[in-house]
Amino acid sequence: MADYFAGIDIGSTMTKVVILNDAKVIASVIGNTGPEHRKLANRIMEEALSIAGLQLDDITCIVATGYGRINVPFADRQVTEISCHAKGVQSFFPAAKTIIDVGGQDCKGIKLNHGKIIDFVMNDKCAAGAGRFLEMMAESLGIKLEDMGKLSLTAKNEVAIASTCTVFAEQEVITKLGEGAALADIVAGIHKSITTRIIGLVNRIKIEQDVVLTGGVARNIGLIKALETKLGYPVKIPPEPMLTGAIGAAILANEIFRDIAEKGPPVSRKRPPLQEATFFV
Amino acid sequence: MNPSTTDVKAVMGVDIGSITSKAVVFAHNAIVSWAIISSGGNTSTAAIEVIHQVLSKAGLNDTHISYTIATGYGAANVLSANQSSSDISCHGRGISYLFPSVRTVVDIGGQFSRAFKIDHEGRLLTFVLSEKCAAGSGRLLQVIARVLQVDVQELGVLSLKSKNKVNFTTGCAVFNESEAISRIAEGASKEDIASGINQALAFKIQSLMERIGIEPDYALAGGGAKNIGLVNNIENLLKVKLFIPDEPQIVAALGAALIARDMVNPKSI
Repeated sequence: MADYFAGIDIGSTMTKVVILNDAKVIASVIGNTGPEHRKLANRIMEEALSIAGLQLDDITCIVATGYGRINVPFADRQVTEISCHAKGVQSFFPAAKTIIDVGGQDCKGIKLNHGKIIDFVMNDKCAAGAGRFLEMMAESLGIKLEDMGKLSLTAKNEVAIASTCTVFAEQEVITKLGEGAALADIVAGIHKSITTRIIGLVNRIKIEQDVVLTGGVARNIGLIKALETKLGYPVKIPPEPMLTGAIGAAILANEIFRDIAEKGPPVSRKRPPLQEATFFV
Repeated sequence: MNPSTTDVKAVMGVDIGSITSKAVVFAHNAIVSWAIISSGGNTSTAAIEVIHQVLSKAGLNDTHISYTIATGYGAANVLSANQSSSDISCHGRGISYLFPSVRTVVDIGGQFSRAFKIDHEGRLLTFVLSEKCAAGSGRLLQVIARVLQVDVQELGVLSLKSKNKVNFTTGCAVFNESEAISRIAEGASKEDIASGINQALAFKIQSLMERIGIEPDYALAGGGAKNIGLVNNIENLLKVKLFIPDEPQIVAALGAALIARDMVNPKSI
């Protein structure tokens, strides 16, 4: 019997959907959450279904996570992103002890011990500790965000960025550029700067190996290198670092279904249709 | 005032900040003239220019100035200064002259804010700085003013016309900027956003003041004090009356001039 499970992770910047079958990802979509995110989870789900060649009712169980999880009326369950990330990461790295998840607007640290979440820390109050910092620096320097990482690796003389606030750092960076500092050196300094803040935050729960990095910034080779340099050892990166939350959600969807199945005949439930959320607008 | 045996010449206070530079000429127990200019990223030229302007306005030249005190970030570049003084000391002196009953001062600048307590003679007792974050200073207002495409000086008056204040949910200037953009897309008015951002900054100022333990009377200084919406918000939040100088940005330069006067005239006169 083909059982399909779906996880949908609505982040503040990106929405991710994953459809699993036999523990394999058969479809995944990453879309912009956008200001209208609360209503549009259904569209991203539709896209994933179409890639998989499935209908909504073919999915046995759907779990929603992320800060927008409440606005997914067609989800069967909502689960916290901490649980989903932990689940997703451990499916790739069973020995993971510390997860560092850096998203667009926040930064989280999750501590694991024998599969259990034992501690958690998050900053969602300051843009300088999240992907937004890199986005804004890229914009003020006139380079593409996706090129930042590679560029930083070519630095000869990393420039120190003293400001800890994104707004002031922007100004500092432009001044340094105007004074003739090399772009690569500045970009390296930018990566060092955000890495210091990330480690400062996650160290509150004591970083321990194996360390796994997830979230959009895990695709940034410059940041990975800065992190490994500061930590003194390599960090592990999942094959699709932005999807760990959605993958974890889909794995949990599977477990929830099995749980219900074990406890007795499955309770049939009429799932609401795939449409826009009409509340919390 | 009776002419004394010592010819009372003028004194000058010069405050060279990273964003603006200010100067005050003081004589006969009153401000003779004052000037504010943009520092323009070069404190040496700013010093020369602001001194030139303030003397011009006073109808004087440098031979009339018997003592100059410099203060602020670029104080070292005021070559004609006899001495320099810390800018918080100068702020304290300036406020104390304007409002002798004030004991707690909040200076809201373009990059950071400060709260400090002074005694009855304007001497500094204690102070605290805002965090290294744009949202605790006038910078927050500048960021939002840019989004609204208005001059930052207009935010105060705009906010007074607000009917439905926008609530900003985080304390970060970057996130507030995105929120403002979203709210505009949803149809919020400039007035409501201006009102909301004044409130957001007022919250930060409130926590700053609470860190130092507030004691009446209270005064506001710096560019932020010119924002009537911000002033109202702080007064409402803390349930206090704020003394606002007519020219809040020249308070430190005024204090510097008063310290200069001390150097030529013993205080007992």
